[in-house]
Amino acid sequence: MLTARLRALARSMSTATTSAASYPFSKAAILPTPPPAPPSLESLRKGKGLMPYLQTALPPSQKQQWLATLFSKRHPDRLVPGSVLTVTTAHAPNSFSGVLLSIRRRGPDTSFVLRNVIQRIGVEMQFFVNSPHLKDIKIVKRAGSGGGKAGRRTRRAKLFYLRNSPEKMTAIAGGIKA
Amino acid sequence: MRTGVIARKRGMTAMWDDQGARHPVTVLQLDNCQVTANIKTVRKDKSEYHAVQVAATDKRAKNTTAQMLGHFEKAGVAPKQIVKEFPVTPDAHVPVGTVLSAVHFVPGQYVDVIAKSIGKGFQGGMKRWNFKGLRASHGVSISHRSSGAMGAHQDPGRIWPGKKMPGRLGGERITTQNLKVIRVDSTLNLVFVRGCVPGVDDAHVMVQDAKKTLVFAAKHNHAKALYEKVLPKGVDDLPFPAGTAELAKDLPPVIEAPAMRTSPFIPRE
Repeated sequence: MLTARLRALARSMSTATTSAASYPFSKAAILPTPPPAPPSLESLRKGKGLMPYLQTALPPSQKQQWLATLFSKRHPDRLVPGSVLTVTTAHAPNSFSGVLLSIRRRGPDTSFVLRNVIQRIGVEMQFFVNSPHLKDIKIVKRAGSGGGKAGRRTRRAKLFYLRNSPEKMTAIAGGIKA
Repeated sequence: MRTGVIARKRGMTAMWDDQGARHPVTVLQLDNCQVTANIKTVRKDKSEYHAVQVAATDKRAKNTTAQMLGHFEKAGVAPKQIVKEFPVTPDAHVPVGTVLSAVHFVPGQYVDVIAKSIGKGFQGGMKRWNFKGLRASHGVSISHRSSGAMGAHQDPGRIWPGKKMPGRLGGERITTQNLKVIRVDSTLNLVFVRGCVPGVDDAHVMVQDAKKTLVFAAKHNHAKALYEKVLPKGVDDLPFPAGTAELAKDLPPVIEAPAMRTSPFIPRE
């Protein structure tokens, strides 16, 4: 009886799945923590500024920070195409390094593409910032560092020309251990 | 069969479920959606047609015709921009004046969304009817995108009625079926459905339970006595006759649908 009471207490404290009492229409439904209360509900209920509000309300707080710093357009610490990043994921490949080719900014759907040459095969991977599988982003080398020609910023936002020039790839990412 | 709801398409974004799979979602918002009438018509052959009339989005009284003002006064609601009705079974009538809420839909169920598609103007055969056009070279002169011949010769000596020709494309009523409800937010009255929905942003759309995947499947399974399969997986019950703003006060503010499948990221043998 004591264990039954403890179990009931644990069940009532868990926020992951619902008990029949809180949401009777689906036992398996998930009840996430609601987003922080917005300043003005009235205008949001009419739809004014709803999508920009969802951009900040839907992603969890850590990803929100990434979106506001690494993937913003004007933050001083933002990622710049041409940087070399190492990304840690929850499933295989657990770690992937590569040159940042492009950032696709779509609010909660923001993603970026990393390119690497592994065993003489060019490999590109697209990572979605909000994906629960994306655990960590480490900056190995920021673009624009180093002297001379490599020191200047790239003149493109999307570096797809690197697919056809292996020499420029090695110029950016050569000598970096994965 | 329950009533449907009128919502506004607000835009699209992406969401990740508990297993980490990405779903493109359309955000639909209920804009003060209220029931304005319960309709019952008896046809000549004594069969009955039952419907619930629903209206959404408040409008200024000075912009509403006197006839509609009288209709809204009889229902006891503010004048609205759009009034539509949804056929229901006789037991699914909703009291006039009820404010419908996003909790009318249960995450995990399927819905049909009906809206006017984006107008594309006067379009040629290739875009309107998927005609293949003509070759790009090899002698074709200035008719690369034309429809070609319009018919035969002296017999029949005319063009068949209904011949596919260039004309106005879009701006017509389109139904997108079997969209899964991923998330429901009752504070802002938002329903997130997986996939795309016809129409421009901020357009009015009609959302109702999926005819094929929900209503007819339920009817057939009920007739076969497969009572566990009557509702979709993960859905235990649907608010009947409707999910109202009163009901939303007792329910959690945000509800999300579980994946209801084995994780797609685990390799299968």
